[in-house]
Amino acid sequence: MKVAKLSGALADPQWAGWSGADGATVALKPVALESQPNAYIREAWKDRDYGQVAEGQVKAASDGERLYLRVEWPDDPAPNAEFQDAVSAIFPTNGSGVLATLGDADKPLVLWFWENGRPEALRLISRGPGVFRRDTGDGVAAAGVLADGRWSVVLSGPAAIGAKGKVGLAVWNGSNDERAGLAAVSREWLPLEMD
Amino acid sequence: MAATTEAKVRQLAWVYDLNKCIGCQTCSVACKVLWTRDEGEKQQWWCSVNTMPGLGTPKNWESMGGGIDLVTARPRPGHQPTREEFGGGFDFNYDEVFYGGTGGKAHLEPQAPRENRWAMNWDEDQGAGEWPNSYYFYLPRMCNHCTNPVCAGACPTGALHKTDNGLVLRDEDICMGDRFCMEACPYKKIYFNYERHVAQQCIGCFPRIEAGVAPACVRQCPGRAVFVGYLDDEDGPVNKLINTWKIALPLHAESGTGPNVYYVPPLSPYRLNEDMSIDYETPRIPPEYLESLFGPEVHTALGRLKGEMESVRGGAKSEMLSTLIAYHWQELLGPFTVDPATLTPNGNGHREV
Repeated sequence: MKVAKLSGALADPQWAGWSGADGATVALKPVALESQPNAYIREAWKDRDYGQVAEGQVKAASDGERLYLRVEWPDDPAPNAEFQDAVSAIFPTNGSGVLATLGDADKPLVLWFWENGRPEALRLISRGPGVFRRDTGDGVAAAGVLADGRWSVVLSGPAAIGAKGKVGLAVWNGSNDERAGLAAVSREWLPLEMD
Repeated sequence: MAATTEAKVRQLAWVYDLNKCIGCQTCSVACKVLWTRDEGEKQQWWCSVNTMPGLGTPKNWESMGGGIDLVTARPRPGHQPTREEFGGGFDFNYDEVFYGGTGGKAHLEPQAPRENRWAMNWDEDQGAGEWPNSYYFYLPRMCNHCTNPVCAGACPTGALHKTDNGLVLRDEDICMGDRFCMEACPYKKIYFNYERHVAQQCIGCFPRIEAGVAPACVRQCPGRAVFVGYLDDEDGPVNKLINTWKIALPLHAESGTGPNVYYVPPLSPYRLNEDMSIDYETPRIPPEYLESLFGPEVHTALGRLKGEMESVRGGAKSEMLSTLIAYHWQELLGPFTVDPATLTPNGNGHREV
């Protein structure tokens, strides 16, 4: 996926200029139950579906300073007062890493994390499904809009991370109590071609 | 050879004497004013007293699962108590009542929908049974600082850990607000801070413990109804009540987590017959109900208490009853007898002895 060179309101998911950016459809699959990090989660979710969002549309752009990733996916309208929809752009730290498990202890991944209702976007280090730590190296921002039954979220951070050359995607359906490792994740890295 | 020192792992425990608890909520308020007055903590009551039988807080918590299946040794899935099930945290119409010029017409009322309204201690003194045989008793509850904390095991980020003195503490910088701990806890004594996106629970007043001061719930209890101490302190009242006399029992031990808050079960008046004569065979609180809370040992514990009382009535002395009466209130505090008023701030702004 080519990272478009754009200027304008890139942080706004509804900015018209996003129509000029390259896009890709990314297939998502649930993180496997056996990969979940503890017996409680495996026991509690063994008979429940999760990772229910099947695909997301991703666009990438940069203004030279920051990398912007716009992700769109269909919303599950079922109400849930406790858990919220969320999305992450995923980057490798050591050249590679296992997307299917959201990284592991040896090869952690970097997540740019947005959650509906959370006041700030987070940069997380992920060492497995839900095995997240907040990272102080921030500069990550995000904004999300729900319109016509679809979420559009723009995640952004320093453009340097684009040099990793690839990005992954994770989506949590809050209506289904999804959080932590109970996510739908892309299984293959999507190439990022920076200019 | 270099000397090695190994930190001794001990277990703090609490014992609430339900025959002395008067449901005054002083423990609840002592905890509240000390620990949960910040953003997002309005509905949190790390220590709370409920009337039993009752639905308690969160509403119907005893039916929410969690804990460990004692047969399979696997964690039992539980329900995450919702904001509505905890309830509380209401705003009140103070302006209208005090400054609204409505005289005596307006009264204080939670500014929340009436339907499904609930809060800590919402069903106070409701109890059960029919007059003249109605009954209730009070049950103070807090985090049980379990020996086998399923909350910690359920946390994917490792935010919870057991300290060297047996408290279960949370690192709020690591907590991601996933709330598996709330599901896994069989006592449903973990709250969620919706403003800060972290779960929170009783911290055992660890900064006080470290300074030799008893937890607020213990020190402030006007009924002298709660003891704190280390389980392995053989001379301490906590150990004696639990292990020597075996009259202090854990709540819902079948949850399998090894709770470290114990209760001296409530004695009960006898039932009255229709002609108002006393039925000396039947206690007003159904024994099977107490068994559902404290296990089959409750019958022996109550028998032991009654026997001891009988023997004192006959002129004997009883260390057990003297301990429960707590003639010297500092005995309730275990080794944490430092008066917090004697602490002075150190250079770091912390308080020290």
